Amino acid sequence: MSRKLYTFLSLVLVLAFALAACAKPTTQAPAATSKPAATNTPVKVTITWWHIQVADDQKALWQQLADQYTAAHPNVTVEITVLENEAFKTKLATVMQSGDPPDIFQSWGGGTMNEYVSAGLLKDITADLDKDGWRNTFSPGALGVYSYKGKNYGVPRDMGAVGFWYNKDLFAQAGITNPPTTWTEFLDDVKKLKAAGITPIALGEGDKWPGGFWWEYLAVRIGGKAAFDAAYSHTGAFTDAPFIEAGVKLQELVALEPFQEGFLGATWPDEQVVMATEKAAMDLMGQWAPGAFKDASVDKMGLGDKLGWFPFPAVEGGAGDAADALGGGNGFVIGKNAPPEAVDFLKFLSSVDSQVAQAKIGLSVPVVNGAEVGLSDPMLLLVQKGAAAAKYFQLYYDQAMPPAVGSVVNDSVQGLFAGTLTPEQAAQAIEDSAKKEVK
Amino acid sequence: MTLPYSRPRWNTKKFVSRFIQYSVLSLIVVIVFVPLVMLIFGALKTRGEFMTRPYVVPIPPRWENIISILSHASFWLMLRNSLVVMVAATAGVLLVCSLAAFVFARMEFRSKPIFINLFTVGLMFPINVAILPVYFVLRQMDMIDKLWGVILVQIAFQLSGNIMILRGFFTAIPAELQDAAYMDGCTVFDFFWRILLPLARPALSAVAALTMIVSWNDLLVPLVVINNEKLWTLPLGTMQFQGQYGQDLAMISAFVALSAVPTIIFYLFAERQIVSGLTAGAVKG
Amino acid sequence: MQPIPAIPDILKLKRGTGSSHRFQDNLTIALFLLPALILFLIFVIYPIFQSVYYSLFDWKGFGPAVDFVGLDNFINILTDKVFLIALRNGVFIIAFSLVFQLPLSLALAVLVGRDLPGRVFFRTIFFMPYVLSEVMAAIMWLFLYNADPERGLLNALLVLFPGGKAIPWLSDTNIVLPAVFLAITWKYFGFHMLLYLAGLQNIPIEIEEAGRVDGANSFQNFFYITLPLLGSTIRTSVYLSVLGSLQQFILVWIMTKGGPVNASETLATYMYRFGFVRFQLGYGSAVAIYMFLICLTFSLVYRRLTRQPDYLTGL
Repeated sequence: MSRKLYTFLSLVLVLAFALAACAKPTTQAPAATSKPAATNTPVKVTITWWHIQVADDQKALWQQLADQYTAAHPNVTVEITVLENEAFKTKLATVMQSGDPPDIFQSWGGGTMNEYVSAGLLKDITADLDKDGWRNTFSPGALGVYSYKGKNYGVPRDMGAVGFWYNKDLFAQAGITNPPTTWTEFLDDVKKLKAAGITPIALGEGDKWPGGFWWEYLAVRIGGKAAFDAAYSHTGAFTDAPFIEAGVKLQELVALEPFQEGFLGATWPDEQVVMATEKAAMDLMGQWAPGAFKDASVDKMGLGDKLGWFPFPAVEGGAGDAADALGGGNGFVIGKNAPPEAVDFLKFLSSVDSQVAQAKIGLSVPVVNGAEVGLSDPMLLLVQKGAAAAKYFQLYYDQAMPPAVGSVVNDSVQGLFAGTLTPEQAAQAIEDSAKKEVK
Repeated sequence: MTLPYSRPRWNTKKFVSRFIQYSVLSLIVVIVFVPLVMLIFGALKTRGEFMTRPYVVPIPPRWENIISILSHASFWLMLRNSLVVMVAATAGVLLVCSLAAFVFARMEFRSKPIFINLFTVGLMFPINVAILPVYFVLRQMDMIDKLWGVILVQIAFQLSGNIMILRGFFTAIPAELQDAAYMDGCTVFDFFWRILLPLARPALSAVAALTMIVSWNDLLVPLVVINNEKLWTLPLGTMQFQGQYGQDLAMISAFVALSAVPTIIFYLFAERQIVSGLTAGAVKG
Repeated sequence: MQPIPAIPDILKLKRGTGSSHRFQDNLTIALFLLPALILFLIFVIYPIFQSVYYSLFDWKGFGPAVDFVGLDNFINILTDKVFLIALRNGVFIIAFSLVFQLPLSLALAVLVGRDLPGRVFFRTIFFMPYVLSEVMAAIMWLFLYNADPERGLLNALLVLFPGGKAIPWLSDTNIVLPAVFLAITWKYFGFHMLLYLAGLQNIPIEIEEAGRVDGANSFQNFFYITLPLLGSTIRTSVYLSVLGSLQQFILVWIMTKGGPVNASETLATYMYRFGFVRFQLGYGSAVAIYMFLICLTFSLVYRRLTRQPDYLTGL
């Protein structure tokens, strides 16, 4: 081989790598090709939309709604990315850090969303909401979850409360006629179930957030709104008595060993199977539980008529009202680079018709006035009423607070369940993180 | 064996030792196979069967899950992406590493130790540790959501080990060969391309095979680099699938088993190459 | 970076004295090294420096890093109990690897040996787990480890025994790490076995036979002849095993996410949690730097102790 050729080859090689390293591949379709044509044909627009409804019927509904919209607006293309919950969180974290959010994407509002807002990653849609009374179609509490410092960045599509899903048959077997209304009764019922040889509670504490509900709800019942507000605004602290008391009460429960074998490493899907195969009597979970139980049962029918619901019992002497609720919902927010069409599309998604369709397949507990008619499931109606009746509605801590604090809450509560942390240590860990992150 | 008088004694002894050998080895084979067999059983059951009778042999086998996955375009798309990444990364590693290894093995220059030490740093900063900053770099270079990003990162993090393997092999090739080649008027590139590389084929195939395995199974890099579903690789799809069908373990089993089929076919073909390559490349310091 | 140093005297020996030759050799060195160097500098070296930079900030990953905190992250990490647990778990995995996994691999390599009929079969099977992805291995072991005997094979077998009780493999803080280690061993023992097989193949059969003729039994033969001759392979295998243990990630993350209550936390899961779950990227970067320093220190000390000219000579 000649010298020239080898030199040439080497050069090509180097060049190729240099180019590959620097070049900006141009395979991606541009988000919005704005070529204002002379005629009146509308500009072609692509909306990117990320949601997490991976179940077949729900995924199909979103696709169908998108198709409906694009049929009416031929210049708009909706690019849907469906991601499973955990994958979505990881992926979203990376795109947000790269400063390139999708146009419309799933959000739970609260602290995580606020952090995106502070980084300038979301679009302010306050003006759009004020136009044509769009704002008034929502229940104000749910809409508020997607606002920060008086500005709106997204809209809810679903709102619900955490409560107890229980197996009526198993309760009857243990001789329990009425669901418990106080924490003492609750503990008694747990003992009765254990005595009857039934695992009282299903829990997937390996995922951490299912256990977080327990501690948070206890704090809501014991401390009420005042305790959380004080801790959050640093006039009080998460080391205040109610939060420690919540840990103490939780560990009283844990001492009864009410959970299925191996709950500490189990996941939420495991928890569903335990409930759906009737191996445990109850489960503290949000409005999405019945659908999940259906998916997890052998015949896909779930627990059917055996499934019941009751709110978290009151804690004797607690400052919180028995009607107060811990919960949250799902919604969509708008990325900073979104075209105006994205907001219009969101408006379409949150219309009454669309919400009725979502409620019909049990996807959402509606937040748009008048969409409750779609809600046929009596249990979900209970949840919806429960959430609506709450005078104080506490968003899940891991959503209400910045992600770092939320993660510490969940980690610390797992320590409470495992007995590796005392209530004081858990509270201290949460307070340390909140002091640093909540400003 | 060379001493005929001891043969009868040898045979009894040998029989016992062979028996023990085979027993132990067979036990390990069983242990290696248990997870795999369970997975294949699961893949051939319906969802209900998996939940009610998870351990029994799937008779009759249910092909529904397999068929439904294979009839989904997304599976083939993932297969394609995995193949593209694997082929490109392997070609890149072979080319780049053999060039560098050649310089380190056959050429002398003053700063050589510095460069060799520089590359060994790669062993101590693996992609698991580097994933955050690497993500920043890709972001700056606008390589997020591009298969190119995955490929280049995979190549970069496979350099250190493979350069060292090849260097060991290249060093073992007698210096006389090089001298003779230069006498005959070969250029350095001629020697590298026409004499050294053909001689190093076993080592090159070992490097290629190991690179392919690592690239094919890589989850972390595609996970952070790729957003677009159309660019997903198989491990990424597996993870997504696991979340999506959290309840349908039969379906997950089917997907996982299917995603491994190409690896296993490839492995059965390349096994000899890997072993002989690693053996041939074993150069004692 | 100047990849074109001039070292005329050495080149002279091989290539004559012409300055054009010298120039050409330097050009060759430069061109041959460049591709590797460019990739390496961009994706490995530059990120190291970037990590160092970000580790000095309290940074959430959005927008530029502005909250300079000096060495606070590094100090906070050292006082975090979970980091120390992760470190301890790393040492645990290393120790288990050295005490169980590598001897197992070596024993199997010797058993498979060089003349056993069917050796190719065993070799092929044993290396197979290494070929399969970590994601797949993790999912398979999750199935096996399920706490419910009606869903997890291991517990189903356990309850078959009279008085046998299901063990919550991945839920018991005392069992989870050994359980994860078992999965790691399943995945990686074949790789080390292959290294040893390769090493064994390079020992001339005559040496072992000479030993036998001199009256050594197989154990003596193994410990006095084979083992010392495998020295460099073993050193490489140990080195790779220690680095691999310290960097263990995907398998653990999918099986346990480092839990329950950090019982199976490794340095890599700890770092990932801060970077991608808590968005504390400055802190996460500092963890990465610690990991790098730990591996680097180990490498330097190991090289000094074993007098290996470079890290992978046994390969």
